[in-house]
Amino acid sequence: MARVLFDHVTKRFGEVVAVNDLNLEVTDGEFLVLVGPSGCGKSTTLRMLAGLDAITEGSIYIGDRRVDNVPAKDRDLAMVFQSYALYPHMSVGDNIGFGLKLRGASKSQVRERVERAAETLGIEELLERKPRALSGGQRQRVALGRAIVREPEVFLLDEPLSNLDAKLRVQTRTEISKLHRRLGTTFVYVTHDQVEAMTMATRIAVLNLGLLQQVGPPQELYERPANVFVAGFIGSPSMNFFQPVVRSEGETLRLDMHGLSIEVPARWVPGLLPYDGRPIVLGVRPEHIHDPAYLPSGVLPASIRATVDVTELMGNETFLHLDREGTRFLARVDPRTQATPAQEAEVVIDVSRMHAFDPETEQRIEAQAAPAEASGTEAVS
Amino acid sequence: MLGRRWWVPWLWMLPALLLLATFLVYPGIDTFRRSVLDARSDGFVGLDNYQAIIENPNPLVADTHSALANNAMWLVLFTAVTVPLGLVLAVLTGRVRYEAAAKSAIFIPMAISFVAASVIWRFMLEFNPSVGTVNAVVTEFGGQPTAWLQDTGAPQTWLTERGPDEIPGPVQLNNLVLITVGVWMWTGFALVVLSAGLKGISTEMLEAARVDGANEWQIFRHIIVPTLRPVIVVVTVTLLINALKIFDLVWVITGGRFQTDVVATLFFKQSFINRDFGAGAALAVVLLLAVVPLMLLNIRRFQSEEAA
Amino acid sequence: MSLGVPVPAREGRPALGYWFRATWARLPLHAAVIGFAVLWSVPTVALLISSFREPSAIASSGWWTATVDTLTLDNYRTVLDQRGMGRSFINSVLITLPATALVVLVASGAAYAFAWMPFRGRGLLFLVVVGLLVVPLQMTLIPVLRLYAAMTVNEELPLLGGNVFGINSFTGIWLAHAAYGMPFAIFLLRNFFSSLPRDLIEAAKLDGASEWQVFWRIVLPLSVPALAALGIFQFLWTWNDLLIALVLLGDPDLAPMTLRITNLVGSFGSSYQLLTAAAFISMALPLVVFFAFQRFFVQGILAGATKG
Ligand SMILES: Nc1ncnc2c1ncn2[C@@H]1O[C@H](COP(=O)(O)OP(=O)(O)OP(=O)(O)O)[C@@H](O)[C@H]1O
Ligand SMILES: [Mg+2]
Repeated sequence: MARVLFDHVTKRFGEVVAVNDLNLEVTDGEFLVLVGPSGCGKSTTLRMLAGLDAITEGSIYIGDRRVDNVPAKDRDLAMVFQSYALYPHMSVGDNIGFGLKLRGASKSQVRERVERAAETLGIEELLERKPRALSGGQRQRVALGRAIVREPEVFLLDEPLSNLDAKLRVQTRTEISKLHRRLGTTFVYVTHDQVEAMTMATRIAVLNLGLLQQVGPPQELYERPANVFVAGFIGSPSMNFFQPVVRSEGETLRLDMHGLSIEVPARWVPGLLPYDGRPIVLGVRPEHIHDPAYLPSGVLPASIRATVDVTELMGNETFLHLDREGTRFLARVDPRTQATPAQEAEVVIDVSRMHAFDPETEQRIEAQAAPAEASGTEAVS
Repeated sequence: MLGRRWWVPWLWMLPALLLLATFLVYPGIDTFRRSVLDARSDGFVGLDNYQAIIENPNPLVADTHSALANNAMWLVLFTAVTVPLGLVLAVLTGRVRYEAAAKSAIFIPMAISFVAASVIWRFMLEFNPSVGTVNAVVTEFGGQPTAWLQDTGAPQTWLTERGPDEIPGPVQLNNLVLITVGVWMWTGFALVVLSAGLKGISTEMLEAARVDGANEWQIFRHIIVPTLRPVIVVVTVTLLINALKIFDLVWVITGGRFQTDVVATLFFKQSFINRDFGAGAALAVVLLLAVVPLMLLNIRRFQSEEAA
Repeated sequence: MSLGVPVPAREGRPALGYWFRATWARLPLHAAVIGFAVLWSVPTVALLISSFREPSAIASSGWWTATVDTLTLDNYRTVLDQRGMGRSFINSVLITLPATALVVLVASGAAYAFAWMPFRGRGLLFLVVVGLLVVPLQMTLIPVLRLYAAMTVNEELPLLGGNVFGINSFTGIWLAHAAYGMPFAIFLLRNFFSSLPRDLIEAAKLDGASEWQVFWRIVLPLSVPALAALGIFQFLWTWNDLLIALVLLGDPDLAPMTLRITNLVGSFGSSYQLLTAAAFISMALPLVVFFAFQRFFVQGILAGATKG
């Protein structure tokens, strides 16, 4: 019912192309997160959906209704602004109830629903206050309350957590997720924080420079990033990249780098065969580089020696900043590791979790599906 | 905004535009027409009226050169003093507990009608030091009483040795006195508008600057002035234009005598006393045209806003 | 030095020394504010004292020499005893209040369109409106008078009196005052409106507000200081107007106070002492209005709109 469809949507501000030929469907009840670096067009996408910015080309559908020319007030959307945008002259209660009042709800109805929303968010005691007498976190809740009280078809949230402290942020994150599960409404959520994206989304859409890079469930984006940008953006800490050369050796392929030679697992061979004799981009996530002394099961190991620059103890894991002949990379290993700074250490790459990308197009080079692997990621070029 | 029909903004502006068209645009166009007609608005005389403004053929009846020069002086001095003064006072009065009283004292001259103002100032500037306040103060400090409103000499002649009309300089003492009266009347305007703008500046921003170690002057210079820019523009433009068409104050205090005429008083004299509508209209058109550079100055700013 | 930050009286702490030092640091501030307030008040005080003096005393000695026992209420009595004084006060109110309300209402609608509704040619049209500030009032009088003469409806307006429209009508003079105040009003309000945070307007639209509701419930309440400032000025300018009333209201029953007082002075020769008293009588209401509006100049009206 409240599905949202972007159909070849482009937005230009003069010369700047803020959003470039966006095709995206948000299904009913979904929690879609738009991520991307600053200035990539996330807010613009949201604002076009909300009806605050006109579309330059293409069209947007909400449900079955084409809304290109429908004014914001008639779209039945609620939005939490990046700046919160609370009405400074109204009390918290009036702020939350304003939308209902405008839509002609009776006084008692407004009060009842405002109270219910306030209760959900734990701000019942604040209803009489003016926004200026609230803390940042409380303002954020009021902004949220103003959105949920309307029970709209679609929720739009533009970086609502971006200036809360770390703890409040984690807490509010789970609250918003719960809210989504309870309401079952479509959410479109903008953030540049990929942890928020990974933890909250049913699907993530990654934008860069106005172009949609990939859409899919968090796990898909993590396991099968469509290109180097997505691979580097999703996952924290980010993926390590190497530039090995592909070399064939009888039936097998090997990746050569820094006097090191790694055998390519069988399911990558068909994809990499055309690159024989040429460089590729190899991606390995820090969590797939291990200390050989504490190797988990199911790893396809390839050993590599490197100098340890820095070790960062995180408690439940340790980050090793490594350097092999000038190529720096990061490993996320068992905290019991013996590696010490300024010394050589041996680490093991789990080759079964490697990613390969074309060095020119930066697109993913597909491996054959492993037996248990799910599919369904749309790769957008 | 999306889905807004094109005529909606025009509907919002309609009453205002109708009023402006009837009471300002139409008379303005009518004035253009009259400015190329003769004294009785009967025959076409081309640009003769404008030529008369330039050549100033009759300085004893209507000294257009003096009026233009005086107006230019009003424009510069009046604005250059009133705006900064209003701004500083707005900031200062906002910081004392008797803000309302202090602002009122400075604002009261605005509330005085021009007729009353003329009475006040003729009292204040009376030559006889036992009646005129200013001359009483001057003589108290050992100076000579001065005919403030009649003295067309340059102010420096007054500072050295007295003698009205001795050096008719470009800056006449009596004009400076009139401009001072103008500043006295209009500072309240600048103060009130700027103060209203000042109240819109978020206190959080000022606090943030203080925490960052800015001193009061830096806050004024780098936070208050830039944030208040739109309001400062309103005040400056309004005062510039007021100076351009200054009429009442000069008219009620000196009546334009002693070479204190400005363009608007001369326009009034020509039209309604000398009954030369053509000459009057041409002067009014000069006033209208004087605003054009001011608008050109602003046009780029508005165009860039438009693009956003 | 924290100029202007109020010193909190802390409990359980010898705050006196602290208080003293803070006050000492603020001394220049107080001196400046009080100095300006006093300087600006001198002419008004002079007028006020003179208004209580005998004509002969005014002519022969300065106001500062007056003692309490020489003061008299005669001037006020003479003015107030004039036939029609009461009626002219009512007329002034009947002219000024609706004219002021009309300007604020009509201009705020237009200013909202200029600030928040993009349309083609918006910047240029706005410049033209601001440019109309320069049109001298005197210039428009003849064309407007001709227009009014043609449109006069010669029937009695119920309740208020005067004609229904045109010359000698309240409706006519309301429209005239509204039009003359329009350029400044639009200019001031547009610049205030457009400095409101865009997100607030958009949030209201998403909440389902129509243009009218955004205007009425968001923009106007948040522009109270600007509306108050505009209201004060429009009130004063209309209240103190002489010229428009002179031209458009010939009927003595409709004359406002300014007109009545001018006539009074005419009929008594140049009787300064009556003028001074009359000036204060006519200033009373504008000052009440000014004080009443003071409280709308609220600090930080936008505080709390955004992230803290
Ligand atoms: N009104 C505008 N006029 C011109 N350019 C604009 C305008 N609004 C946005 N842009 C540009 O469009 C691009 C996308 O902006 P957008 O606000 O969508 O970024 P964003 O992804 O939300 O970034 P952030 O994470 O910093 O909020 C940016 O390059 C921005 O400079
Ligand atoms: Mg953004």
